[in-house]
Amino acid sequence: MSNNKHHMGMKTLNRLSNSAIYTLLVIISVVWLIPFVFIVLQSFRVESTYQVGYVVPHQWGFQNYINLWNSDFKRWYLNTFIIALAAAVLQTIIVLCMSYTLSRFRFKLRGPLMRFMLILGMFPGMLTMIILYRVLSDLGLTQANAVPGLILVSVASSGMGYYVSKGFFDTIPKSLDEAARVDGATRLQVLYKIILPLAKPIVIYTILTAFMGPWGDYVFARYVAFGTSAGYNVAVGMYSWLTNDQINNMYTTFCAGGVIVALPVTILFLCLQKYYVEGVTGGAVKG
Amino acid sequence: MASVKLTNVKKVYDKNVVAVHDFNLEIKDKEFVVFVGPSGCGKSTTLRMIAGLEEISEGTVEIDGEVVNDLQPKDRGIAMVFQNYALYPHMSVYDNIAFSLRLKKVPEDVIYDKVTKAAETLGITEYLMRKPRALSGGQRQRVAIGRAMVRDSKVFLMDEPLSNLDAKLRNQMRAEIILLRQKLDTTFIYVTHDQTEAMTLADRIVIMKDGFIMQVGSPDEVFDMPDNLFVAEFIGAPKMNIVKTGLVCENGKYYVTPFGAKIAVDGDKGEMLAERGVKGGEVLLGVRPEHIDLAKAGEDAIPCTLVVDEMMGSELHLHVDTEDGTRMIVRVPTIDISKEERKALVAGAKLYITFGGKAMHLFDPETEKNLLA
Repeated sequence: MSNNKHHMGMKTLNRLSNSAIYTLLVIISVVWLIPFVFIVLQSFRVESTYQVGYVVPHQWGFQNYINLWNSDFKRWYLNTFIIALAAAVLQTIIVLCMSYTLSRFRFKLRGPLMRFMLILGMFPGMLTMIILYRVLSDLGLTQANAVPGLILVSVASSGMGYYVSKGFFDTIPKSLDEAARVDGATRLQVLYKIILPLAKPIVIYTILTAFMGPWGDYVFARYVAFGTSAGYNVAVGMYSWLTNDQINNMYTTFCAGGVIVALPVTILFLCLQKYYVEGVTGGAVKG
Repeated sequence: MASVKLTNVKKVYDKNVVAVHDFNLEIKDKEFVVFVGPSGCGKSTTLRMIAGLEEISEGTVEIDGEVVNDLQPKDRGIAMVFQNYALYPHMSVYDNIAFSLRLKKVPEDVIYDKVTKAAETLGITEYLMRKPRALSGGQRQRVAIGRAMVRDSKVFLMDEPLSNLDAKLRNQMRAEIILLRQKLDTTFIYVTHDQTEAMTLADRIVIMKDGFIMQVGSPDEVFDMPDNLFVAEFIGAPKMNIVKTGLVCENGKYYVTPFGAKIAVDGDKGEMLAERGVKGGEVLLGVRPEHIDLAKAGEDAIPCTLVVDEMMGSELHLHVDTEDGTRMIVRVPTIDISKEERKALVAGAKLYITFGGKAMHLFDPETEKNLLA
């Protein structure tokens, strides 16, 4: 009987602490979600195009989205999508190959190379902006040709982002590689038939981060496009609406653009968030 | 089915750590060879060099007459079973076994036949659709063996395949490997640190220490006539008793004088000592625990005190201290001891032990080589 009582006490305690945690989480998520809700509401406001002192629109409509369709936004969106997609594909391939190599092969300059990349990674990417612009401009990859230029910028240094996936690969026993090699697999087959299926969370994490970088990029994109609308991505393009002479006409359209930009990433995250969390924490504990 | 020949094989790590020194061995077709030795003796490294998983620093490895030094593992005609099974966790048992065949683009119906046949041989048919994590250790090891079986390889390499299993399962799988060997009828190279496995499985045992081969021979040979002290102590459990003692020669007959006793070296061994012109002097005397008997006081008996008695069921292991404190182990079959005698065998009991000349192994104290080998 006393045992049962004790049990009940634990249960109540658990319930109490759980409710406390959930209350806190709800408050945090409300705080987080307010800006999104605000932007979504503004994007459907059609009675005026400038900033107003209230949140819920008086008149609802799709005019802002129609405006988007009729502006340069289509072009910017496509630019961003191409850059992000290319970066996601190419970066993932490079990062995974790099990680596999550093995890499995032992070669002379492996240690120095890893240290070198670690130190290099400590410098902010912005430092290279001037020289990168120079190089891209000489290659003819600026302004209207900013898209291939930006793809090059984001892919060129991607091998340096090997840490997380190398850490994960290190936890996969080497004897699996050896067994597969005895079984007749080439190194490449070992990578995509054995290692990658076992490292699914890391692969997805790599794809997501590679996609996200260029998707939200502003500084480099603006610099490389350098005032030519055809080379803008969404962030740079939409920011040009926020100048003093434009903002009163474009404010609600800007909000609609924000919603459209957030949409694919949100969907991607909702579908893959399980893997994403596993990926971020995956290197630490043996999978 | 193939022979394997290693000529002056050497493995050097980082330019100065030598893991294997000048390894020479010819393994005949269909022979079962076991590499055995303590950890760090280079046995696994040697096996991995044969497999192609480790670069060969010097020397050549030939399989079936062909030098394979520069061939990839998959082109050497070998199959390998790993200590930790190395099953592909994301594939079912069936897919694990079929993996190598699929890489070779073997038609699916042939794969099906081979996999089901291998599974039947190993008794894992009902687990074919399971993932490895849903199997026990013994079942996993069977899958690993199945994966190696379907490759129809010339040489079967096994790297401590039973070390991860519990004692009971290990005995069972050991017997199954003997059966498997009869069925497959191919060349086996097997690495273990367990001398029992080596003795029970091998046609020939290669005993290694610190990268050197200490002796190559059949289980009988290495047990009866160890080349050196290391092999003598490594093979056999409990290990051989080693005592530093005198060897004297009187009227052409040899005697050892351990702990003040005087025991004649048996005819054959005495003759061999005479042939070699051994003068006598200090020697290392080795006697296996099972060759020591309890005795009555006498010239050839050594007095000692019982320290620990271990009841093993069919036999009794007696740990005794001689008068100068040297610890020795004696194995006595329980059936030879009466109830009264057994009662007297408690810690502190005084006893006498002796052994026949036939049971003696004599080693040079400096070189540790067998004087009779």
